[in-house]
Amino acid sequence: MGASIPQLLVNGVALGAAYALIALGFVLVINAVGVVMAGGFVAVTITEYLTPWANDNLPDLAFIGPRASAVGLGLVILPLTMVVMAVLGLLFSALAYAPLRHRPPVSVFISTIAVGLILQHGANAVFGPEPRVGPPLVVDGNFALGPITLSIQQLSVIFAAGCLITGTGLLLSRSQLGRQLRAVAQDPEMAEAIGISAGHCIAITFALAVALAGSAGMLLSNQFFVAPSDGGLFMLKAYIAVTVGGWGRLDGAAFAALLIGVFEVMMAAFVSYVMAEALLYAGVLLVLLVRPSGLLRETIQRRT
Amino acid sequence: MKAGSLRNVGIMAALLIAPVAFALSAGGYEQRIMTLAGIYAIAVLGYQLIFGRLGALSLAQGSFFGIGAYTTGLLGIHLDWAFPASFLASLIIPAAIACIIAIPVLRLESHYFALATLGISQIALLVGVNWTEGTGGANGLYGVPPLRILGTALDSSEAMLVVVWCVLASAVLAFSCLVKGRAAHRLTLLREAPEAAVTAGIDIGARRLSLFVASAAFGGAAGALQAHSIGVVSPAVLEFQVMVSILAMTVIGGRGHPAGAILGAVLLVHLPEWFRFLEAHYLVAYGAALLVAVIIMPEGLAGLFRRWLVTQERWAPEPPRTSKPEVPTTLAVLHLVGLCKRYGGVVALDNVSITVVPGEILGLIGPNGSGKSTLINVASGLQTLDAGEIRLGNLDLTGMPAHGRARVGLSRTFQTPVQALGLSPLESVLAACPAGLDERRAERHAAACLSAAGLTAPAVPTTSLSPAEARRLDLARALASGPAVLLLDEPAAGLTPAERDDLACCLKHLTDSGLGLLLVDHTMDFLLPLADRVICLATGSVVAEGPPSMVARDPAAIAAYFGEPPP
Amino acid sequence: MIRRVALLTVLTVHLAAVTATTVNAKDAYIPILVPITGFIALEGTAQRNGAIQALENAPEGVTVTYEVSDTSTSPEVAVTALHRALERGKPVAAAASIFGTQMLAMAPLAQRAGVPLITVSGTAKLTELGNPYIFRFFPGDGVVKVAHARYAVEVLGAKRPALLYQTTSYGQSGQAQLAKILKDLGAPLVFEEALAPSAKDMLPALAKLRAAKPDVILLHLHSGPTALAIRQAREAGINLPVVAGSAMHQPSTAKLLSQAQLSGVCAESAASPISESDAKLVAFTREFRTRFHTEPDAFALAQYDGINMVLAALKDGANNAEQVRNWLASHTFEGLAMTYKSDGKGNMAHDALIVCYDGASLVPTIVKRYHNVDGAL
Repeated sequence: MGASIPQLLVNGVALGAAYALIALGFVLVINAVGVVMAGGFVAVTITEYLTPWANDNLPDLAFIGPRASAVGLGLVILPLTMVVMAVLGLLFSALAYAPLRHRPPVSVFISTIAVGLILQHGANAVFGPEPRVGPPLVVDGNFALGPITLSIQQLSVIFAAGCLITGTGLLLSRSQLGRQLRAVAQDPEMAEAIGISAGHCIAITFALAVALAGSAGMLLSNQFFVAPSDGGLFMLKAYIAVTVGGWGRLDGAAFAALLIGVFEVMMAAFVSYVMAEALLYAGVLLVLLVRPSGLLRETIQRRT
Repeated sequence: MKAGSLRNVGIMAALLIAPVAFALSAGGYEQRIMTLAGIYAIAVLGYQLIFGRLGALSLAQGSFFGIGAYTTGLLGIHLDWAFPASFLASLIIPAAIACIIAIPVLRLESHYFALATLGISQIALLVGVNWTEGTGGANGLYGVPPLRILGTALDSSEAMLVVVWCVLASAVLAFSCLVKGRAAHRLTLLREAPEAAVTAGIDIGARRLSLFVASAAFGGAAGALQAHSIGVVSPAVLEFQVMVSILAMTVIGGRGHPAGAILGAVLLVHLPEWFRFLEAHYLVAYGAALLVAVIIMPEGLAGLFRRWLVTQERWAPEPPRTSKPEVPTTLAVLHLVGLCKRYGGVVALDNVSITVVPGEILGLIGPNGSGKSTLINVASGLQTLDAGEIRLGNLDLTGMPAHGRARVGLSRTFQTPVQALGLSPLESVLAACPAGLDERRAERHAAACLSAAGLTAPAVPTTSLSPAEARRLDLARALASGPAVLLLDEPAAGLTPAERDDLACCLKHLTDSGLGLLLVDHTMDFLLPLADRVICLATGSVVAEGPPSMVARDPAAIAAYFGEPPP
Repeated sequence: MIRRVALLTVLTVHLAAVTATTVNAKDAYIPILVPITGFIALEGTAQRNGAIQALENAPEGVTVTYEVSDTSTSPEVAVTALHRALERGKPVAAAASIFGTQMLAMAPLAQRAGVPLITVSGTAKLTELGNPYIFRFFPGDGVVKVAHARYAVEVLGAKRPALLYQTTSYGQSGQAQLAKILKDLGAPLVFEEALAPSAKDMLPALAKLRAAKPDVILLHLHSGPTALAIRQAREAGINLPVVAGSAMHQPSTAKLLSQAQLSGVCAESAASPISESDAKLVAFTREFRTRFHTEPDAFALAQYDGINMVLAALKDGANNAEQVRNWLASHTFEGLAMTYKSDGKGNMAHDALIVCYDGASLVPTIVKRYHNVDGAL
């Protein structure tokens, strides 16, 4: 074996952390409006294009200096992209969800796909089809820790993802805004009755979800590059994570996404990439056979 | 033939002929697009069976399409099979695969079912791309022979167009046979009110399986035609994009009617072509058009022309001349013996035994949480028993699935009436009629049940029934299967005193023919005068049993309600 | 009611519009049917750009009209695009997709319509069909993979090569060729692994690769995955020489890596316009940059040459598709990248070269040219 298991684990966790961010966004929207935001993956792609652009142009705008020496530029770009993505999320909800909020969920599924198509091909037309690389979060470089070579970017990704996930969790459970979001998610009519604007909360949920997906995009764009057709695969993994982790559970989704990342890398190392994918789907089917309600119990009732 | 269905046939014929005529008069390009539209329409028609009618979001339809294409390709290239043998194989193999995966997958609920079918479709794609020896790998299969009918190769665009649309016409016929008349009503009931459907005798499992398998066959047929039309089979036919297209066509076309499949396919195949002049931006325009389409057409294209397409069966035109039900009721005694049910640590039913004899009204009372609803759920089969026996006459119902119990004579109503809003009251009851009856007798029977349940209001759509009328509809539906014993779950809740009296009268009449009633309710001045015998449940066990007046004064019963014995 | 009537009217008008317009019959019509969306969009856009540059510089006396039509990622869309082109005018030739399976689907239709397809697809099978209307202006796997293998074995002295290839038609046919050629050269592969285009983490493959103790790494991947593999290999401390497929010569791929990571990396290609100092190529590159705001690569150059050969046929008096086809099949053409001549089966290009990055610049240098590899010139 040419690489140690701890090394593979680190890689798997880094990948899984990014998946977890996307899955988190997914779950937020599912909880809030009961629909699968199929087109949301596009946020990942858009960010992955925005960040290199920002990387190239921001230093000039901010007079920081030549791009290559801007340590920590990524730390500035990350919140900036999240803000831009949040605005995009508001737009997304206005276009894809708001006109269809009284329709069955499958109509929203289609509308999110439609908006996703618009954004994805718009990005292709505007940015071109070349793959791009994003800036590192802090700085490029590796260091050795015993038998493992860790890239600083990997660690930053894990750390940043962890912060974002915990932050989201805290926002939802401890803050007033979070309580309002959860109230609307559980019972929009009741929430309206006590004075919470369901429309606002849903829009904010979308904004948050897309911002999270965008952050995943930014974190991934340095290590793994980006091309316009990337988004679909991430959406698939996120969908699997959300469903297997227990529909509607944030902790379940994040946990399952991490598992998927680690599983992918480990399986690819011990068997092959093709088998890793096949085994992932086979594993999902097995889980569904044995525990038809997901690994952790569902917390919300399905909307019919 | 009814006027409505003649019109339907006319519209479908027009929808099948007009596109072909138009394309034949245009050039090869339009013929190509229209052929593609026809191919997708077949797949969408199949998808309407599982998704439109049954409401199950299967994400495997695209894969069945791809499997059909590969089947035709492989058989054509390696074994020299031609139409119709290879075409039939492309129907049978996806159907067989659907059969195999159906068993574990169909019992999953909504999004789990979707994910399971998605997982299977991804595995199919992996096989297609990576099994180079078998499927040709990413290069795919080249040189699929053109369709041959009676020895002539059909590879001109005109010929292909006509053949595809003929197959589509047969598919529409097959579709109508599968969802004809009362079968369609049963499916709607199953989709919108699954619990009511199950307790009316409709076998969910069998329906899902048959429709899933049928939808796979339709998908395979479409894929086979696709393989012949381009001569190449590549893993692109197994990609998720195909599934998304089929889903979009179903939603945009309107998922309720076969016309929707044709309209949706024609529109969505043409749409990107119209925008081609935009070159790099054409898919952006396509996405925008898709969004606009889904927003402004809530019921799809077919929904726009709903008035002309759908003929909802109206209320029975005149009051029935006879109120004798067409389905004879057998008299039978219901024995519930030693029923036990726990939810985790909570005991819902503790060794409860109850008997209902023909013609009697047995009242069941008890405070909240005493297990009354659980008893009905367990007796009707919607929940499982931990221990005990259920016998109806000589039949042992313990372990029989819910739909089976309904068929042998045990029906129930629901605490909150479950409605199928897409069906008129008459259609709702028709859906619950036994499948063996022919149309005339079924209609007479449904009308008789409606009048026996006291629903004689003028024709109103189900959405505008009052709560009292909704309960009567529930009752009529329960009567449709010709039960020996009827379990009523709080039928008087939410009724005005006048309505309650009406209902009591109606229920009394029902027992004249020997029907036994188990009546659960809280409203004492409704239940006590009505019942012949009363049983009181508290915390899962029987605490009092006897004539109504006696139980009303029984100290154990009073203690159960008020927490302490009477002073 | 109004909504329905409006919708019906819109639908009918559009259905009619689809078939109404045609191209001006006097000019020579050359449709460009390439993938400009989807995962092959990078190469397809290069094709498009190369073709347009040639058409915009048509020689004196030759008037052409052209149209770009996307073929996306499936054969189905490609065939529809070709049908549309055939309807909108009578093409004398068509620039056709680099994507092998799309070409295979379009080939029979082109043959029936008698329109030559000018492609840069490397899929071997294209010229084994016996279809006289396919003209491939990029050297097939039988040429570039030979150069790829020979450079590794003869120049770098490899005895234990390892291969990472893509699970696409491009990857699978390249792998087949490489495995065979290397065995014939006496240096069979000691390791090979197939990667999906979407695979992001290469460590599992690289770990297994390292365990096989190779002395050179061969890559046959698309642009993004090539860069990923090299970057992650360097980060994992694998500093073996790398000989990559054509994707590595593309400027967009080089941009993804740092100069340090590019040291020791070579690539096979038909050409590398940005590395050439010949005046005509420099002019080509400059015009390309100005027109399309991006660097040209070998695919763009090959498509440019292919369309220019068609234009040369038109200038030489060919009036229709059949005459263009005959001209292409029988003449030799001096293109910018190399000399093109049909070997009787439609393979026009027979030269390849190897470029290497020296770690100081993003522009690779041409280190070896392989001329007339399959002996057809």
